[in-house]
Amino acid sequence: MAVTAPVLPDSEPTRRPTPGEVMGSGTRRGPSAVDRVYGFVRAIPTGVLWLIVIVWSIPTLGLFVNSFRSRDAQRGSGWWLIRPDDLTIENYDTIFGARNGLGNSLLNSAAIALPATIIPIGFAAFAAYGFAWIDFRGRKPLFIGTVALLAIPLQVALIPLLQLYVSGAKFTIPGIDKTITIIPDLDLAGTTTATWLTHIGFAMPFAIFLLHNYISGLPKDLFEAARIDGATHFTIFWRLVLPLSVPALASFAIFQFLWTWNDYLVANTMIGANVRAQPTTVLIANLAGDFGKNEHLLPAAAFVQAFIPLMVFFALQRYFVRGILAGSVKG
Amino acid sequence: METLEQLAGADDGTDAPVADPMGRPPGTTRRRIQLVLAVLLAAGLAYWSFVEPKIFTTVLTVLVAVGLTAAMWIAANLLFDQVRNRWVRFSVLAFGGLGALYGIVLHGNRTTVGSGEGFLTWVIGPLAGALAFGAIAGGLALTDDPARRRAIALGGSVAIGVATALLIRSEYQPEFDVTATIVYTLVGIVLGTALSLLRKRPLVGGALTGGAIGWIVGAWGGAELGGGSFVTTLIACLVPAVLIGVRLGMSSNPGYAARVQIDDNSRAVIFVGPAVLFIAVMLVIPAIRTFYLSLYDQDSVEFVGIDNYESVFTNKTSFDGTNWTNMFTSIPFVIGVILLAIAAVVAVAMKKQTGRALELGNATGAPLVVGILLVCFGAFTALRGTLINNLWWVVTVTFLSTALGLAVAVLADNRGGERAAKSLIFMPMAISLVGASIIWRFVYAARDTNSDQTGILNSIWISIGQLSTGSGLPSLLATAVIFLALVLAMAFLAKALVARRWSAAVMPGVMTILIGWLFIRFAGIIGGGMGGFKITESGEIVPSTVLFVQESPYNNFWLMIILIWIQVGFSMVILSAAIKAVPTELIEAAKIDGATDSQVFWRVTLPQIGTTIGVVVTTLVVLVMKVFDIVKVVTNGNFGTQVLANNMYDEAFKFANRGLGAALAMIIFFSVLPVMYYNIRKMRREA
Repeated sequence: MAVTAPVLPDSEPTRRPTPGEVMGSGTRRGPSAVDRVYGFVRAIPTGVLWLIVIVWSIPTLGLFVNSFRSRDAQRGSGWWLIRPDDLTIENYDTIFGARNGLGNSLLNSAAIALPATIIPIGFAAFAAYGFAWIDFRGRKPLFIGTVALLAIPLQVALIPLLQLYVSGAKFTIPGIDKTITIIPDLDLAGTTTATWLTHIGFAMPFAIFLLHNYISGLPKDLFEAARIDGATHFTIFWRLVLPLSVPALASFAIFQFLWTWNDYLVANTMIGANVRAQPTTVLIANLAGDFGKNEHLLPAAAFVQAFIPLMVFFALQRYFVRGILAGSVKG
Repeated sequence: METLEQLAGADDGTDAPVADPMGRPPGTTRRRIQLVLAVLLAAGLAYWSFVEPKIFTTVLTVLVAVGLTAAMWIAANLLFDQVRNRWVRFSVLAFGGLGALYGIVLHGNRTTVGSGEGFLTWVIGPLAGALAFGAIAGGLALTDDPARRRAIALGGSVAIGVATALLIRSEYQPEFDVTATIVYTLVGIVLGTALSLLRKRPLVGGALTGGAIGWIVGAWGGAELGGGSFVTTLIACLVPAVLIGVRLGMSSNPGYAARVQIDDNSRAVIFVGPAVLFIAVMLVIPAIRTFYLSLYDQDSVEFVGIDNYESVFTNKTSFDGTNWTNMFTSIPFVIGVILLAIAAVVAVAMKKQTGRALELGNATGAPLVVGILLVCFGAFTALRGTLINNLWWVVTVTFLSTALGLAVAVLADNRGGERAAKSLIFMPMAISLVGASIIWRFVYAARDTNSDQTGILNSIWISIGQLSTGSGLPSLLATAVIFLALVLAMAFLAKALVARRWSAAVMPGVMTILIGWLFIRFAGIIGGGMGGFKITESGEIVPSTVLFVQESPYNNFWLMIILIWIQVGFSMVILSAAIKAVPTELIEAAKIDGATDSQVFWRVTLPQIGTTIGVVVTTLVVLVMKVFDIVKVVTNGNFGTQVLANNMYDEAFKFANRGLGAALAMIIFFSVLPVMYYNIRKMRREA
């Protein structure tokens, strides 16, 4: 693959089948063996494309098939050698039946993903409107600073945030050695609350960037007309911008839902060993950690974990795509 | 924005619901279906929350959080709606709010006489505070006479100060700490003055406010509470009250223009403030604290300077160059050097033919790029360590994901089944990295060679081995097919060479070399065949597996494949949209001028999507730099696959070495700084 990758775009455009178009100098000489070969070669790009598609789909297909095979079948032969009497749903039974098993972790995943998706929408929409349409001093540097944080690795915030959830935040006044509690210990360590709070903070730069792209592109006349009619920023935002921005809000919500549902790093750091609060990703990673013993349950667990995002993905793909585009392509 | 909508619209083939202020949204049926689905979803959620207490709590949390946010936000907006035309009402409400806060803090903390456990505590305190503050603000707002304003401000302020001093319980009366009070007052005055200087306001005002705050911090924060008397309490209360009273008395009611200014500024704070606060608390302050922690030892007690960083860079597990000479004997390195040599030869030929040795889309490019990549590979397999692994990840995943994504985008463009193909390649984006790791663990599985292989790659590999070393009809057929392909490639090469079209000869040439090598290996001319087999001492041929996960250093590459599998969809979607956004007129014009499809791609399309490729590359670099989940799940950093993020996680959360963990986090941060800088520059130019 390493070798063919840069070659494909090079070879492809020259051989693209263009119906009705006379290609190359060879064709003018009439059909010959070379031309027939050329015709075969022209079909290669389509073949290559579908070959890539198949290669890309096989791993997931294998997981899906294996999730319905018993432990012995999984260990005995490859999933492509499937026989109908291998099929069983006992893996699913086992993972859902276990105490603090997949059912519990699905609830936890929902308990993280729902607040982490819905709560930041409002904050980000306010800020995006503020950056786009309210003129205040320091707007540009503040906005650029916010968006620059898009690239900040989450790792730099994890240690202090975990400390915050474990013991609150305290500040010692210099000189007079007196400690003030700025944020009390809210006993958030190992909870889903800590996880979604963290997600909200981390999502903010991206949310503002995405919504700002959309809201700043709304027609300027709209705002001028509204202002002349005496509407305040509050009214304009509430009555005009919010209803118009629904597609962008949906894009962000889907993006954020997939991100938080699939997140492992934040959940594992904030929840760690608390099995009662573990989301699906942490559960599956732990399951994968104890080698051998429960390996036959992994396909079923991983498939259930992926099922919800895949449904969201296929149902709302256009919004997801728009979110990705808005987050990356500008101007 | 318009381009954005076009891009999104072009991708899914329907018109994007561009906001139409006149109503009539496009695609009403689709809208209705979506509405029904949304209602069903909400109903399901409601039902679910009644069945599952966990979901009930979650839904309740969300509702309360959203409701509170909205209520506070709307209240703030309604309050500042009064600024322009109802100044008196605004001042009374705003100051009343401040007073209520003052009352809550004092009374709610049970520091004042009459406070207790009862509900009334939470009513009386705030109410009294609101009334007192509101009265002063109302008085000030109603008069413009400077003398009267001074009297109201000073009188009211002193009255509140005295009342507070009277009401403070004796066990909260502060001792008078002269030094702390004086020092903090002076610090406050200096800071306040400086702030006024910066804001270009009268300096006295800032000095007074700063002095008042400094006095409060010094007199209340610095002293022992409960050790004082009524007199010391009075001193602690009265001085800041007088200072603030004088400051308030100096002010005048703002004119209409100033009120508009206040209105606008307050909106900026109301709209932008909450999000900025979130970012500050969740990202900026923790990041600064991480930097601080990285300069301390593992328990954050002793200052150790840059020792943590030093230990990362001098550690053998981070960078191990002892076997660097292995580089020259590694296969990718050798092939890479050969390709670079080919590139050099082609470059000379191209220079002669077109005057340029290297340009977009000429024949030098492919061998040059692949050659460089392979030489890097050789280097990365010989130099080992966490830092090298990270670098290897960044180079490989970024390059291959972008290249493959571009390839698929071009291949699928305007071809039948485009949407289906793109959907399937894009699908891994929706799967978690943990899930993807699990999926690929099964692909890479290697089992004892006595039993069947359950991993598809090893199964194929062993089949190839059997085919290659076998002697039956299938083996012969396979050899024949490869030979035929070789002949075909050579025919194309010969055709191009005869026609003296050097640039057209490069592709068949490379293919000839590749297929030729494949043929030599498969037919067993070198190495006795290819595939998963080995020859035992007794001369018997037995199957042999590749331990994709365990065999260092190439296991790193197999892990990278997992991320590439996911990220190709990402780059494909973005690049595909960019390609579709290239103006058709440009392409038509180039074609009319006689450009071939290949030339159109390299000379028109590619330069047009250049910035987008830049975006994809920078996004991927940042993403790959912090790769964590895959390594954690598949190898947990064993077998020489450790990367910075996993190392950081282990140090900080497993081995409780906070200093080292923080230093590793900062190293990840520093390594993406160039990208951040690039992004900021780009934003600056666009904004």
